[in-house]
Amino acid sequence: MVKKITAIFLRDMKVSLRDFIALYIIAFPLIFAVVINLFVPGINEATVSIAMLSGDDSAHIDYYRDYAQVEVFETPGEVTRRVAQRDNLVGILPENNDYYILVQGNEPEGLVDYVKTLRAYEYFGVSSADTSVEFVDFGRTIPPMKKLFVNVAIMLGSVLGGMLIALNIVEEKVDNTISAINVSPVSRIGFIIGKSIIGILVPVVGIVIMLIVTGFADVNLIQILMMLLASSIISILVGFIEGINNDDVINAAGNIKILFLPLMGSVAAAEMLADKWQKFFYWIPFYWTYKANDMILSKSGTWGEILIYTAIVIAISALVFAALAPKIRKGLEG
Amino acid sequence: MISVKNLYHSYTKDEKFAVDDVSFEIAKGEIFGFLGPSGAGKSTTQGILTGLLPLQRGEVRVAGYDVKHIKRAMFNEIGMSFEQSNVYSKLTGKENLEFYRRLFDVKTREPRELLDLVGLGGKGDIKAGEYSKGMKHRLTFARSMINHPTLWFLDEPTTGLDPAIAAQIKNIIKEQNRKGVTVFLTTHNMFIADELCDRVGFIVDGKLLLVDSPKNLKLQYGEKFVEVEYLKEGGLAKESLSFVGKEDIARLKTILDHYEIQTMHTKEATLEEIFIKVTGRELV
Repeated sequence: MVKKITAIFLRDMKVSLRDFIALYIIAFPLIFAVVINLFVPGINEATVSIAMLSGDDSAHIDYYRDYAQVEVFETPGEVTRRVAQRDNLVGILPENNDYYILVQGNEPEGLVDYVKTLRAYEYFGVSSADTSVEFVDFGRTIPPMKKLFVNVAIMLGSVLGGMLIALNIVEEKVDNTISAINVSPVSRIGFIIGKSIIGILVPVVGIVIMLIVTGFADVNLIQILMMLLASSIISILVGFIEGINNDDVINAAGNIKILFLPLMGSVAAAEMLADKWQKFFYWIPFYWTYKANDMILSKSGTWGEILIYTAIVIAISALVFAALAPKIRKGLEG
Repeated sequence: MISVKNLYHSYTKDEKFAVDDVSFEIAKGEIFGFLGPSGAGKSTTQGILTGLLPLQRGEVRVAGYDVKHIKRAMFNEIGMSFEQSNVYSKLTGKENLEFYRRLFDVKTREPRELLDLVGLGGKGDIKAGEYSKGMKHRLTFARSMINHPTLWFLDEPTTGLDPAIAAQIKNIIKEQNRKGVTVFLTTHNMFIADELCDRVGFIVDGKLLLVDSPKNLKLQYGEKFVEVEYLKEGGLAKESLSFVGKEDIARLKTILDHYEIQTMHTKEATLEEIFIKVTGRELV
């Protein structure tokens, strides 16, 4: 059985590496990881940066160093040139026994307000010691935007795994080879398992690479893989159904995109909607996957929470499986 | 090797039967031809025997296995060559066979050996998608032999092949049969059936009308003819005369006595003519 399943998987892998669309899907996690690293600001870019003169009072400079990343320059001209550069950096320069804030004008409003507030607190001699606020630092250095994109990429990875399955099923249909499989000693379940492996293994490898490239290598990989496997069930089912229902590779790949809607909807709901609206998304496995992944990536989830979310995803997927299994079985009769 | 009793099959799950009360047996080492026009029920019967279609009604045993409760191990015993070639176009000919052999639990044949056998020896490293229709058909045929089948299902094995290749395929079938392989041949080509089969069955509209050897059928239903061409009044005349009717025999004597014979051939009734005579249907 294992020999036959392996043969089916290796055949699919060989054919996928010869197909441009499949090859792109296989390489997607790595491409996406590079894109995330290039375009999502890193922790340093998310930090407030201020340019000051090195001749300024050292206590004045140290005050800002407590709340921002400070770069010092010899002359006001150098500060001005630094502020004019592409990134968001604000200058603080002396003038008539006071200071003024130098900006390009296109900086985020929050950044400028933050520096204004810092200057006001400095002027009035207020420091964090004067507040009753307690600072708790988890020591994390991954920005939230990056975490969100990585989370979405993990879910996209599982959907693309389903797309790979669909492409291979379409190929079997176009070549009419399912009937040849059906007169071999391979059982239907063996064939389905063999066909499913590419939709699991390729995303697993791709996502592990993506986590390493994007700086999430230290998260709990077992938890991530557990959620990935659970959410892959739905992608695999849709992959089989779309493969069976389509005779054209492009159509199959296009129809798989139907999964993108609940996926992105779940992300939007979890991130933007108020609690009272969340319940409308409970039926979507991706909603729970997103929440679980978010906990895993931010290292805030317990094993108990992750197991519950995994169980919810598997339970919803089981219902979908019960609905689609007869159609898949019939579709593979050749 | 194959036992079929009171087999029925309806695609519409009602009394419109595509296969209607069909019964026959095939002995080990026999070549059995299942003959009939398109839509007669040949492929449906073969589909049931090979497990591609579910057994709805009747008793079917194939290679010792009950088809009602089909076991995958049965497929280690059988080979199936499809009428429509069905090979992976993105794999080479050799890769197609390498992949398929891994699906069996029994000793398999070397892909190169099979490719050589069907005349694809030099084309094994070319993707099957680049093969001609005939080459794909030969690859499908070669694949059906990969597990040393003891029971071999052949669906129109020479359709679309040029005469030289078709002759090669027929020789392979004969050779395999000499080694003891039982063959279930589905075809509408009566010449191949006549040449290869120990027995044939005529199926029309889902009903198996008769089963017998081609020789017996010719004896029972065929008339021997003589075709004679002779010179008459400066031109060439042609007549076809029976060996059976007295008038025809007398006419033949007259021609022999009074005319200059150009050609004269005896002619047996073909299986196709017998089929038409028995079923009243053309083999289309």
